[in-house]
Amino acid sequence: MAGLATTFGSGAMTNSINEIENAQVILVTGSNTTEAHPQVARRIFDAVDRGAKLIVIDPRKTLLAKRAHIHLAIRPGTDIPLLNTMMRIILDENLADDLFVEMRTENFHELRDMLFRLDCQEMAEIIGVPLEKIRAAAQIYGRAQKAVVCYCLGITQHICGTDTVQSIANLAMLSGNVEKEDTGVDPLRGQNNVQGACDMGGLPNVYPSYQRVDVDDFRLKFEKAWGVSLSGNPGLTVLEMTHGGKDGPVRAMFIMGENPLLSDPVQEKVRETLTNLEFLAVTDIFLTDTAELADVVFPAASFAEKTGTFTNSERRVQMVRRVIRPLGQSKTDADIIMELSRRLEYPMHYQSSAEVMEEIAMLAPVYGGMYHDRLEGSWGLQWPCWDREHDGTPFLHKYYFTRGRGRFVPASYQAPAELPDGDYPYLLSTGRVYHQYHTGTMSRKSTLLSREAGEALLQINPLDAGRLSVRNGDFLKMRSRRGEIKLRAELTDQVREGEVYTTFHFSEAPINLLTIAAQDGKSKCPEYKICAVSLEKRTEG
Amino acid sequence: MVLIMTNKYILKKDHLVPLLRQLGKEYQLVAPLENKHGDTLFTHIDNLDNCRVDLENQPQNSLKQFFFPQQEVLFRYRNQPGVSYEFEPAKSREDAVLYLGVRPCDLSAILYMDVVFLKDFKDPYYQKRRNNSVLVGLNCNTPFDNCFCNGTKSGPFIDYGFDLQLTDLGKYFLVESDRSRGEDILEKLHQFFELATEDDVKDQYQAYLESRGRFKRQVHVDLAMKNLAEGYVADGVWTELSERCQDCGGCAYICPTCVCFSIYDQQQSATEGERIRCWDACTFSGFTRMAGGHNPVDSSIRAIEQRFRHKLQFDVKKHGRPSCVGCGRCVEMCFGGTDIIRFINMACCEGM
Repeated sequence: MAGLATTFGSGAMTNSINEIENAQVILVTGSNTTEAHPQVARRIFDAVDRGAKLIVIDPRKTLLAKRAHIHLAIRPGTDIPLLNTMMRIILDENLADDLFVEMRTENFHELRDMLFRLDCQEMAEIIGVPLEKIRAAAQIYGRAQKAVVCYCLGITQHICGTDTVQSIANLAMLSGNVEKEDTGVDPLRGQNNVQGACDMGGLPNVYPSYQRVDVDDFRLKFEKAWGVSLSGNPGLTVLEMTHGGKDGPVRAMFIMGENPLLSDPVQEKVRETLTNLEFLAVTDIFLTDTAELADVVFPAASFAEKTGTFTNSERRVQMVRRVIRPLGQSKTDADIIMELSRRLEYPMHYQSSAEVMEEIAMLAPVYGGMYHDRLEGSWGLQWPCWDREHDGTPFLHKYYFTRGRGRFVPASYQAPAELPDGDYPYLLSTGRVYHQYHTGTMSRKSTLLSREAGEALLQINPLDAGRLSVRNGDFLKMRSRRGEIKLRAELTDQVREGEVYTTFHFSEAPINLLTIAAQDGKSKCPEYKICAVSLEKRTEG
Repeated sequence: MVLIMTNKYILKKDHLVPLLRQLGKEYQLVAPLENKHGDTLFTHIDNLDNCRVDLENQPQNSLKQFFFPQQEVLFRYRNQPGVSYEFEPAKSREDAVLYLGVRPCDLSAILYMDVVFLKDFKDPYYQKRRNNSVLVGLNCNTPFDNCFCNGTKSGPFIDYGFDLQLTDLGKYFLVESDRSRGEDILEKLHQFFELATEDDVKDQYQAYLESRGRFKRQVHVDLAMKNLAEGYVADGVWTELSERCQDCGGCAYICPTCVCFSIYDQQQSATEGERIRCWDACTFSGFTRMAGGHNPVDSSIRAIEQRFRHKLQFDVKKHGRPSCVGCGRCVEMCFGGTDIIRFINMACCEGM
């Protein structure tokens, strides 16, 4: 999110999901949309039915890539060279939106100078896609009146994630494809309410509504509201906490609804950190691998057992209503927090989630007009929604960017932290499958979902499999510089020779034993998408 | 004026709720009710004075779940050490249930389920519920947005299979009966019914004629069936459909005639458990995969093919008619655009 926040002033989808249906060109990059965001994929299909052109950038031949008009199967990690090359072509062919660049943006000269130094042919070789194909994509995107870019973790989970996001924003601004209906840059959020968690200050450096902790005015506002003194220093990022090791900076943790032992890279490091804490409390609806390490586990209520709001990818805040009472000894997250707070001598007395929402409306400007009575009986409201009279905002940056002018931030190619070599000749990328969700805390409890996808499979090209004498379903030993796991092979031409792909859902094949700790310098997002591994057929067991 | 007698009756609209109140003394009542969120669903009526019977909109669910529940305990088992298994049949409700507002598509779907569950092997669970049912139909004067029962020849009017049937003639309902249970109701609660005149019957034909002209979609089910039977559907059709399919199974769950199920044992303790039957879907790879990993339906392409061939080709061969009843629910449900109307349109184009 750091990338878009720098460039546009706001890190969220600029469009509504429905608007994707009306786009003339859809550029999907780093998103396995049909499996990870089926409701978005459906809009893309509908748009294509209506005549829209679909460009997919993905090293793998995903389902969506098969249906694309142009599939740019780039080498993993070469997104920035590709985006720069597309921009250079747009400039060369006079497809840039000069008026938009002049009126709405700043720092164009720096981008232009960088692009004019670019050798497109050389870039095409780095990218691994013929220049003519890149040119065709640039022409289609550059000529569109309404074009949408959808991107996901395939962009952000690299050491250059923030720079890549900014390059996507550069491309959109250069061709004037932002600030309009059905036109924009849309990061697809990976989890229900992850947008809401960020909006509410679930980030190290901001209070709710992205008010920075190191700005005195904001800090004083929250100190006054909460009657406590607050730190003006940004907190730690996830890996700074979970990779702290034996003597890490954090000595006690309270983890809510997250399973870092499976989801964070370099599992051994995470285990070392968590087991050496002085105190660990975990809240989750089921006993996760992380919760098993905890001193105290709080059973949490599920969505059906509580009333409140979720905020989705398109900034839409919607009500969720309690259908059944919390089962057993479980409590809602809010009740758990209030109980704890009371015992820590900061009593909270919220009688309902509607009351919490009133406080949010008071303190978080983009939620300023959101009250439960307005959210009831509707499909919710999209932020920013400044006050009770405001109808919400379907698409962002109308008339001007949130930060004023959109800022071009040029970026150059950075090679991934670890590429295949003689010892570890295969490139491993990780992601999700349709039938499972994240670390499987919930989805693996469903026998039907597990019947469809019940174990980790390693996607491998049949030619590579042939060289390893591996048949479909055989067990493989996969090793990186950090660890080793075993899993079954799935032979498919979705992946190219030299590249393999698997998921992080299964604790029996904990892929994050293998992944690398390298992370983006700005967002601190780990490079889950690229590391080097070796493969071997497993003969016994 | 001489009134020509018919075997049809008139029920004033004001008298519908009073009639239901009387019927409620003998039957559990199920009818399309509008809930507080504005959705209309077939629902058990607990309190007639505190619900809104909605005969204007299509219920989002069909009656499948009432005859063939999504999950059903078939029996319980116990296994004490040293003793052989003991089985205890599951208790089921014995009440007679009257279903109101059963439109021709849903009625046709029940007649299809009768073929599946009662024709050769008689499924006792289904049979008990079916024998205890009274179906009060409702002809469709205005087909809904995704309806195509004219294409599957299961609507918009139907003249068989119901116990009683209502046709909305504006001021009142025309009432017909097709089975003795319906006759019994007409007789027992005769105070609600007046004999219909020949003009009323003419009005019913007029409503039928007008309804046939109100379909918003033209769906050439017969052409698709012909092209399937004659092998004119290109493989590309299945490939495209499977690429769009999101594998949610929603089409099978919402479909009034999809009756695939799985049976599994749910262990409750070391010595006790339940055998459960629950809905399943042929589009799931796990539905056909065998122990050891072999799958006779070896890809999502073939699974989609199986789904549509079953409905529009295999059942036609076996039972003489397609097992799609044209209710359009899967069209509303499907978010990949893999619904049966898309398939039929594709199958027609490919064949021509």
